[in-house]
Amino acid sequence: MDKNVIETEITMGTVHSAAIEPYRVRLFVEDEIVKDAEITVGVNHRGVERIMEGLPVEKANSLTEKICGICSGVHLWNSVLVAEKGLEVEIPERASYIRIIVAELERIHSHLLYLAHGNEVLGHETFSMRLFYIRETVMELLRIIGGNRVQYGVPIIGGIRPRAELDEMKVQKIREGIDYIRGKVKEFADRFTSDPMIMSRITGVCPLNRKDALRLAVTGPTLRATGVEFDTRKEMECYDPFEFDVITQDDGDVKSNLLVRVFEIFESVKIIKQALKNLPEGAVVDRSWEMQDTDITKSYVEAPRGTLYHSYALEDGRVRNVVIRTPSIANIGAMQYALIGHHITDAQLGIVQCDPCFTCTDRAIEIIKRR
Amino acid sequence: MGIKSYARARAIHAMLVYTGGCNGCDIEIVNAVFSPKYDAEQYKIFLTWNPREADVLIVTGPVTKQNKKPLKEIYKAIPEPKLVIAAGACALMGGVYKNIHGDIPSEEIAGPVEEIIPVDAKIPGCAVRPEDVLAGAVSALPKLLEAK
Repeated sequence: MDKNVIETEITMGTVHSAAIEPYRVRLFVEDEIVKDAEITVGVNHRGVERIMEGLPVEKANSLTEKICGICSGVHLWNSVLVAEKGLEVEIPERASYIRIIVAELERIHSHLLYLAHGNEVLGHETFSMRLFYIRETVMELLRIIGGNRVQYGVPIIGGIRPRAELDEMKVQKIREGIDYIRGKVKEFADRFTSDPMIMSRITGVCPLNRKDALRLAVTGPTLRATGVEFDTRKEMECYDPFEFDVITQDDGDVKSNLLVRVFEIFESVKIIKQALKNLPEGAVVDRSWEMQDTDITKSYVEAPRGTLYHSYALEDGRVRNVVIRTPSIANIGAMQYALIGHHITDAQLGIVQCDPCFTCTDRAIEIIKRR
Repeated sequence: MGIKSYARARAIHAMLVYTGGCNGCDIEIVNAVFSPKYDAEQYKIFLTWNPREADVLIVTGPVTKQNKKPLKEIYKAIPEPKLVIAAGACALMGGVYKNIHGDIPSEEIAGPVEEIIPVDAKIPGCAVRPEDVLAGAVSALPKLLEAK
């Protein structure tokens, strides 16, 4: 028998009770220790790029929102940014501030969902339920701003939808809401970190070191949990007026991943507070832009899971050559790599720690075979 | 009400299956059942991931071609009497993914849920609201409970 062949394989998916989203995991095990792992996506491919191809740019933008149900706002924002960059549209400052408020609220709800799901996997349902309850506040705020709980559609080319304009009442509600979230998340973090049972379960489990993270091109909080100080928000012009820290942790294990997200919630609250305090007056949308043909334009934003990339060209007001790259496609490498050398019971935790969102990861894939 | 439906009414297990939606409906349904704000568990509706344990199948998403076979198998694995609830615009009519450019059908989508398995109740919305999920479940449950 060849010594390099691992005989025992455990396969889960594509529909499996442990994996909530449809994806396939193959674990190659030896004495209950994972020797190799393989994660396959592709079941969810719906071909949004194909549907966007040839649509008027406004229609195509509203389609990008349906790519992901968790980070829907940031997809729309990035798609609108591509068009604005290509057409050289200047947006009012007030619109830019409101876009950032929405994006940060979205980051808070995504991170809370991550923490709730993580606690569910850990088996601590009480924390999970508490976090779901805190998350309802954010969903309510997003409903107040945009009119829908999941797909709120705030940015349009030239600014934001006038429906999402913040009046005094909305500003007051957001202020109260984020104060509540901050307090509750702080209480959660205190109890979470002082619980010896949980800390012993998550410390040192499935770590990813800095070198491997950079080699695998991991992005977002999963990269920052390994100690690399990189945040696309620091490179975006619209975030210049705001003061916030890039949160990093050292170990890259489940504990670091959870704590990075907890601290990022506080940073998001900080950004929203600054935005509400210095909210400029004026119009929220500038419709004086003119349509013209553009080359392929690229745009990067920091989605809750990492760097999100959109690019397309415009031709007669229609969208061509759409490319979308979601952050989870890079983090799949981290998921596979973090499992190797650990016990099989940690496998699900190791996948969940990288905050997978496989439904938005299924983009058109071209496999290039190199000899 | 017979003894079977009396017992069944006290432990209704709903299974949620993703068939290629955007995660929006799925999280809202988990929210409706699980989170303390809506909390369907107080009406004795529980979320499960095991088809053999389930009474109700909640389907979200437009059913991509690769998901068609697993969905049929899951439907077969659920013991009678069973109930299928299609939730969200994608599950009802394919949503934005069904057609590309007017009426050209997309190659990736196997069609709305109705074309693959029989559907008993429909919950509209993009994404569905948790209140609607509860209302849809309540309107569909008598069919399950009256079955012999």
